[in-house]
Amino acid sequence: MIGWLRHQKHALTAALGRLRAQPVSSLLTALAMGVAISLPGVLYLGLGNLSRVAGDLPAQPEISLFLDNPVADTHKQAIAARLKQADIAEARFVPRDEALAALSASQGLADISAGLTQNPLPDAWVVRPRATSREELARVADDLGKLPGVAETHLDSLWADRLQAALAIGRAGVWLLASLFAIALVAISGNAIRAQVLARRDEILVSRLIGATDRYIRRPFLYLGALQGLLGGLASIGVLAIAGGILRAPVERLAALYGSTFHLLAPTAIEIAAVLALTAAFGWLGAWLSVTRALQQVEAAR
Amino acid sequence: MISFSQVTKRYPGGHEALSGVNFAIEKGELVFLTGHSGAGKSTLLKLVAAIERPTSGMVSVSGQNVGRLSRMAVPYLRRNIGLVFQDHKLLFDRSVLDNVMLPLDIAGFDRREALKRARAVIDKVGLLMREKANPVSLSGGEQQRLCIARALVSRPALLLADEPTGNLDAGYAADIMAMFRDFHQVGTTLVIATHDDRAISALGGRILHLDHGRIEEGSA
Repeated sequence: MIGWLRHQKHALTAALGRLRAQPVSSLLTALAMGVAISLPGVLYLGLGNLSRVAGDLPAQPEISLFLDNPVADTHKQAIAARLKQADIAEARFVPRDEALAALSASQGLADISAGLTQNPLPDAWVVRPRATSREELARVADDLGKLPGVAETHLDSLWADRLQAALAIGRAGVWLLASLFAIALVAISGNAIRAQVLARRDEILVSRLIGATDRYIRRPFLYLGALQGLLGGLASIGVLAIAGGILRAPVERLAALYGSTFHLLAPTAIEIAAVLALTAAFGWLGAWLSVTRALQQVEAAR
Repeated sequence: MISFSQVTKRYPGGHEALSGVNFAIEKGELVFLTGHSGAGKSTLLKLVAAIERPTSGMVSVSGQNVGRLSRMAVPYLRRNIGLVFQDHKLLFDRSVLDNVMLPLDIAGFDRREALKRARAVIDKVGLLMREKANPVSLSGGEQQRLCIARALVSRPALLLADEPTGNLDAGYAADIMAMFRDFHQVGTTLVIATHDDRAISALGGRILHLDHGRIEEGSA
């Protein structure tokens, strides 16, 4: 156990030494990795921020019930009675005059309402059902739509559903992109390590002759791959930080124009740790593939 | 310690380096392996250290069938064998001291213990003043002594030397051979491939003469 720890420490020291011995190529490799990883990173953070925007919208979906214009009083009472039932959490009546007044008050729509000679709007109910699942909402909306006197129902959650569906595609895209760039990371790391192995051919051959196991020979290269991956992860976080710094002001300006105090959210500590752990792991994997293959070649060329 | 029975080694291409070789070497023996170049001396040493595998026959070292040793087991065999090469095989990216430390690092020694052992053996081969030097700056004789120090630092029971004095002038060669005599006296088994007759007559010992892959016994 102590011997094992000593070997790990020895390999880590050797790996750090090799990294320091070639600062420029280590840096370039880290940058290549960093740029590669930052692409899915930007997309991931962008989607995270976008779904936060979506999350700020009324979480409780509403059903708008537009009545016939004009509507019979009996129908009107029947509808009001129906809306007192248990599956409705809240129902608010919007008289047509109030709707027109609200329309006139809306920015940019005052001109339109001013040109109207009579009120074209029907009476309406804004209903919040107790159920929240999409199927239940659709059922309730359908049910209410069949009442006599109801001209049209409108499920307000529809566009939010569409946004969520679009975000789901985006998230799948992030994973797809992340997988592709993980493969790129393995390739970059493998290539860097392969060069290192070939440069250390003599050391490997001599170590073999005096009793080094494959594991002993492989270990410093694996550490090197993991460290290189870690540096790549740090580089990608640097890229993200710079991108965030550049985007923050324009995004907040756009948000302010929409009357929102929205601001860009940075990745959490856990997300940063996950990125670093994954890049280190993929760097290690690339090194393992490369060093195993290179060792076979060194063996064959002896 | 070492026994060969009916060992044949044929290289790809058909050249037969050893043909039906039989011999045994006891623990603590000093054996010279002689013969003209290409007689199979190096091949024989490589078979002992499992650098090559026999085409047929059995090579046994310390009771292990070396020809059948798994890839995983070979490093542990080699840790008990000191190897001295004609071309030294030193690493020029590190100091004399670090070259000698390498076998101990591989074996997982504590660094302080390793330093102590490495310095002791470097002192024994007379290079203590040069421990921080790069091996590139050493003379041929010094490089050979460094190679011997590296072979001995893990205190192997068996030392194999392939033409250890091949490239050295007479004075250096005598130094090296005297060093080998000391190791023989403390009980190390030595197998030295050489065609340096002066060295053999100076040290005495058993001679295995190889001629076209076949072996003849003799002594000096």
